Amino acid sequence: MFLSIDDVIRRFAEQRYICNRRIATVVYLATHLEKPILVEGPAGVGKTELAKVVAASLQLNLIRLQCYEGLDEAKALYEWEYAKQLLYTQILKDKISEVLGGATSLRDAVERIAAQDDVFFSDRFIVPRPLLRSITAPQRVVLLIDEIDKSDSEFEAFLLEVLSDFTVSVPELGTLRAKHIPIVLLTSNNAREMSDALKRRCLHLYIDFPGAQQELSIVRLKVPGISEKLAAQVVEAVQRIRKLDLKKSPSISETLDWAKTLTLLNADQLDEELVNDTLSAVLKYEGDIRKAQDDLKAFLQTQRARTGTEQGDDKDLLH
Amino acid sequence: MDAKIVEFTTLLRTNGLRVSMSEHLDAFRAIAELGVEDRESFKDALRAAMVKRSIDVPVYDDLFDLYFSGLGEAIHQSAKTLMETMQIGEQDFQSLMDRLADLLKNLDVELSELARALLQNDTGRLEQMLRDAADQANAQSIERSYQEGRFTHSTAQSLGLGGLSEELERLKQQLGRADLPPELAEQLQQFIDQRQRDLREMIRRAVRIELEKRDQTQRERNRLSSLAEKSFYYLSEDELRRMREAVTKLAQRLKNVVSIRRKRGKRGKFDVSDTLRKNLQYGGVPFRIQFDRRIRDKPQVLVLCDVSDSVRNVSRFMLQFVYSLQDLYSRVRSFIFVSELGETTQLFEENDTQRAIELALTGTVINVFAHSDFGRAFRTFHRDYLGAVNNRTTVIILGDARNNYNLPHEWVLRDVQARAKQVIWLNPERKMTWGFGDSEMDRYLPFCDLVEECCNLNQLYRVIDHLVR
Repeated sequence: MFLSIDDVIRRFAEQRYICNRRIATVVYLATHLEKPILVEGPAGVGKTELAKVVAASLQLNLIRLQCYEGLDEAKALYEWEYAKQLLYTQILKDKISEVLGGATSLRDAVERIAAQDDVFFSDRFIVPRPLLRSITAPQRVVLLIDEIDKSDSEFEAFLLEVLSDFTVSVPELGTLRAKHIPIVLLTSNNAREMSDALKRRCLHLYIDFPGAQQELSIVRLKVPGISEKLAAQVVEAVQRIRKLDLKKSPSISETLDWAKTLTLLNADQLDEELVNDTLSAVLKYEGDIRKAQDDLKAFLQTQRARTGTEQGDDKDLLH
Repeated sequence: MDAKIVEFTTLLRTNGLRVSMSEHLDAFRAIAELGVEDRESFKDALRAAMVKRSIDVPVYDDLFDLYFSGLGEAIHQSAKTLMETMQIGEQDFQSLMDRLADLLKNLDVELSELARALLQNDTGRLEQMLRDAADQANAQSIERSYQEGRFTHSTAQSLGLGGLSEELERLKQQLGRADLPPELAEQLQQFIDQRQRDLREMIRRAVRIELEKRDQTQRERNRLSSLAEKSFYYLSEDELRRMREAVTKLAQRLKNVVSIRRKRGKRGKFDVSDTLRKNLQYGGVPFRIQFDRRIRDKPQVLVLCDVSDSVRNVSRFMLQFVYSLQDLYSRVRSFIFVSELGETTQLFEENDTQRAIELALTGTVINVFAHSDFGRAFRTFHRDYLGAVNNRTTVIILGDARNNYNLPHEWVLRDVQARAKQVIWLNPERKMTWGFGDSEMDRYLPFCDLVEECCNLNQLYRVIDHLVR
């Protein structure tokens, strides 16, 4: 369990995840108040990563439920394994006829079979899906419900029931209560507005693109071989690109991709040609790339003017 | 502290944030867990527990600062300006106050609580007293800025400003009688005078803060919703920009709704008759279940936009809306007209939406400065593009039908309606003005399947929703 907010930051740093104080505060609160966190924010800011890091830093297992349209209880909670049940009844035919042996009437036979049905509706034949697994887990776990906004609203309503008291009722088995309340993180890209009822039950965390300073330390951490100057330039360029009106703004993972690409090419600083060649690592639409190219061209020129005055003077002398 | 959080929550609620009882309790539990020492984590904790929509975050931030530090900040600030006007540093300021305290003790002067807090610059105490006085004067009920004077006055009264000035006057006399070095005496006189003025300023600030708390309501909460209801005619430059964002968002929402609707449709309903027919070969035992999987075809849309001055804003958003929804339609063709007619489909394919709209509206396609002539534009359409209309096409015409008394040529619409799936006319004018003056709406009306008034975003949304259904 986290001891304090600073402890959260420290342990996350050990897992190579740099976070600001706001994120740490919410995570700390969620673990202590046993409340789910609803994490929102643009794609690629590390929402899913956050759940993984929480699990790793507390040394807990992570159970992940990926939401999609049409996801239902059978896929999220549990399912009976019909094929196995059928197979068992086939194999155990002899045994069953033995049980039915002395039956004198149809009613009697049914009664006898009914007496045995808890054999077939037992833990053995149930396929636990992520929600049930997280509830029946012997230890506390981290449950990640990813992209909840992709699921239907009926599923959301069903989820509410589970999240509010962490009990699941399986008609044949009875009510299963969580031994340890899992740490739950729900992520959403805001494809649709979540219902108020769900929001009410969660702590809310909005993760935005990181500031320049934070992004720089992320790049340094995740791309070890990068030169100081290049890292700073990449981050500054990406921060500039985000301010443009684009179809898709570059996320942190794209910044990292770019930084890695550039280090692979042995670059130690950005120049126009390099930008034109590698910009496709950052931006995924042709129109966006064109826009960013124009903007970065101006940016690189001013940069060169700023840093390169002394070099410029040398050239003048030569002429 | 608890009382303060309750009050703050009430403030959030009056400003349009929905904070439920359980969220309120969560906030308390969070504070119990974290304590109130660290201001930032206090703020984050309340935010995580009570603010669940990202559009509410800026409102929350403003209110938090206003509520938890607005007054304290003002008191702090006034002490700072005092130091500046007296041209002394913080240490000198403190020692001056210490000297004064010593003097008071020596002179055996009894001061009221307010005077003591003021002269000793006891920020916390002052803040508390100001707050209480504002409460007593019922300053929370302030609603308009012209009431500021009245509430300032009554707050000052309940604080006892009159008594204070008498008291300080007496104090100044007593100090004058005491045997002090003239320099110090003057400094003290100045200090006391200035503090008195400061207090008036603080009172004013306290009332202003109450007013600002209300103001947030008007400003932020109603922003988006009112934007959607606001007529396109009266948008300012800034609102145009915000409207563009709103249109994009609305289009996104519609896209989601429609895609879910479509997926549902795909699953299909149980089809009894088909199942029976298919299962005849099994002797009527329903072996194969048949579902009703009718594939809905995407509508083809043909937009005719009037871009004359009077309806330009509407056309702008109409075009933006339609083009942000491209993937919901199998084909969109758009035409703009004033008196000439020009096709803009190509333009939209080559440029991004915003730029294309700008180009279209600034006259690269047709002359946009002519007088509207619907009849002529329709005739051109009939001559050149009638073949583009087939039984899957929805034709949307956007315009106010103000024809400058030219020939309306409504027979074109009749022909179009005969070929098209439906003809929709969107008129940005209020319904009651249709048909008056040079409006030819009444003549065009019989040949349209749907005629809607469309002068704000919500109406536009409804129309398009109807279209993709």
